[in-house]
Amino acid sequence: MKSLQLIVVFAALIVLAAVPWFGSDVLIQFGINALLLAVLAQGWNIIGGYTGYASFGNSVFYGLGSYGVGIAMVQWELPFWAGLVFGVVLAVVFAVLLGIPVLRLRGHYFAIATLALAQVMAAIVSNVKLAGQNVGLVLPPLNDDRLFYELSLGLLVIATLTVFWLTRSRFGFGLIAIRENEEGAAVMGVNTTLYKVLAFSLSGIFSSLAGGIHAYWVTFIDPESAFDISLNVKMIIMAVFGGPGTVLGPIVGALSLSAISEFLSSEITSIAGLFFGIVVVAAVVLMPRGLADMFRRIPKTRWHYFAENIRAHRL
Amino acid sequence: MTPILEIRHATRRFSGLIAVNDVSFVLQPREILGVIGPNGAGKTTLVSLVSGTLQPSAGEVLLEGRPITTLPAYRRARLGIGRTFQIMRPFPGLSVLDNVAVGALFGHHIDRTNLATAREEARARLDFVGLGKHVDQRADELGGPDRKRLELAKALAMQPKVLLCDEVMAGLNHVEIDEVIEVIRKVRDHDGISILVIEHVIKAIKSLSDRLMVLHHGEKIADGEPDTVLSNKEVVEAYLGKRRA
Repeated sequence: MKSLQLIVVFAALIVLAAVPWFGSDVLIQFGINALLLAVLAQGWNIIGGYTGYASFGNSVFYGLGSYGVGIAMVQWELPFWAGLVFGVVLAVVFAVLLGIPVLRLRGHYFAIATLALAQVMAAIVSNVKLAGQNVGLVLPPLNDDRLFYELSLGLLVIATLTVFWLTRSRFGFGLIAIRENEEGAAVMGVNTTLYKVLAFSLSGIFSSLAGGIHAYWVTFIDPESAFDISLNVKMIIMAVFGGPGTVLGPIVGALSLSAISEFLSSEITSIAGLFFGIVVVAAVVLMPRGLADMFRRIPKTRWHYFAENIRAHRL
Repeated sequence: MTPILEIRHATRRFSGLIAVNDVSFVLQPREILGVIGPNGAGKTTLVSLVSGTLQPSAGEVLLEGRPITTLPAYRRARLGIGRTFQIMRPFPGLSVLDNVAVGALFGHHIDRTNLATAREEARARLDFVGLGKHVDQRADELGGPDRKRLELAKALAMQPKVLLCDEVMAGLNHVEIDEVIEVIRKVRDHDGISILVIEHVIKAIKSLSDRLMVLHHGEKIADGEPDTVLSNKEVVEAYLGKRRA
């Protein structure tokens, strides 16, 4: 069973890596977007899925990554990779400085506090001269979608390997213990503050790198799109749709929802949002613990699985 | 001999209410100290002051003569203080085995970073408390008495020097109480761990404890040999009311 899973994952990876060599331009562009969303969902999975802190601040990391690349390349004329590093540094500093106070809050309070941070950041950046204020920055163009695609895929692989490592390391065990019962974890010797800040930073690093790649790819950033909260909502929906706290769930969630959304917007254009909403609501009602949980339990329970979930909602 | 644990004039206020008022006591190496008292006497608060989940408003906590009053809970855990909770704090979504493995990974021996050895150690602890058959179950599938055992196994996996048991016998029947008493005795006799036990079941704690301490309205009203303490007039009054005594 384990080895079969491994073969399937590797086969999927090879197919994904080969897409730019046989796919159309539209498919490659769709792929870059979907892969970057998968990275974001996987990054959110570390703080939201494994540590149990529903962060609405991950779009801030994404924005900082975008601006890291933007500022480094436009204002300082540094190479792309230096911009990525700069973005990561910004994200980690943000995660540590604001994570220490904000990670004291739990549940809804944490979610609301991070949501507020995301709003504030957009306002701050639109007043920073170095970041181009309201107007934004225009990056030097690079017309190589294959490169961006493979870069995004590579980042997704690294993010996923990191999450896989979490499931079998002392650090990951500490995070899961915090999610399951924070006070219980502390009296058993888990340094909860340090672990939460590390998880927040790790989550931020991947979001920031995704933002950096996206910025160079679209060659234009402004505060509104870089610190877009709906992006944060998207990554949460995708991670939860696939299965939070699992290694592959967020990827499956991100890729399948991207495909559904793309299909809907090309078929029924104007009311695509409505149908996308219906898909999400149906998912929450029928499989609240995500695809991963559904695939695990459906061979045994069949359609009873959905009936049970509906009953649990008391609909 | 330095006491393994010493509390000096510990006080804890909760905005107006004094839950623990100027309590001092010592726990000697390999001693089992019982703490009793009516509901609301401050027993659990006292345990929380020692384990670090609460900070004292005044007073000092010393482990092996070293002050630990300002250390956070996780540091105290690594220095050798293990506790169980009256209102249990299992990791519900994890297996029973992994619940205990967390203790082995993060407890007293901080050099233990290998998951496989931690699980091995966890398995031994679960066998010890009689949960050997339930290792693969999820923690939230366990029944009440087994959850109490799980709390104990989690604390033991940390290899503590001091074990604080907060009502591990509450809600158990006579047979189960005897089993738990047996386990706690073994912990002391084999592993040499010093133990502080909070309990409501007077009969059980009387037979288990070397020494008994009584809290009432946050204050220590008696401390000494169990039989003497239980015949103390003030203690009887606290439990049964003045008229009966």
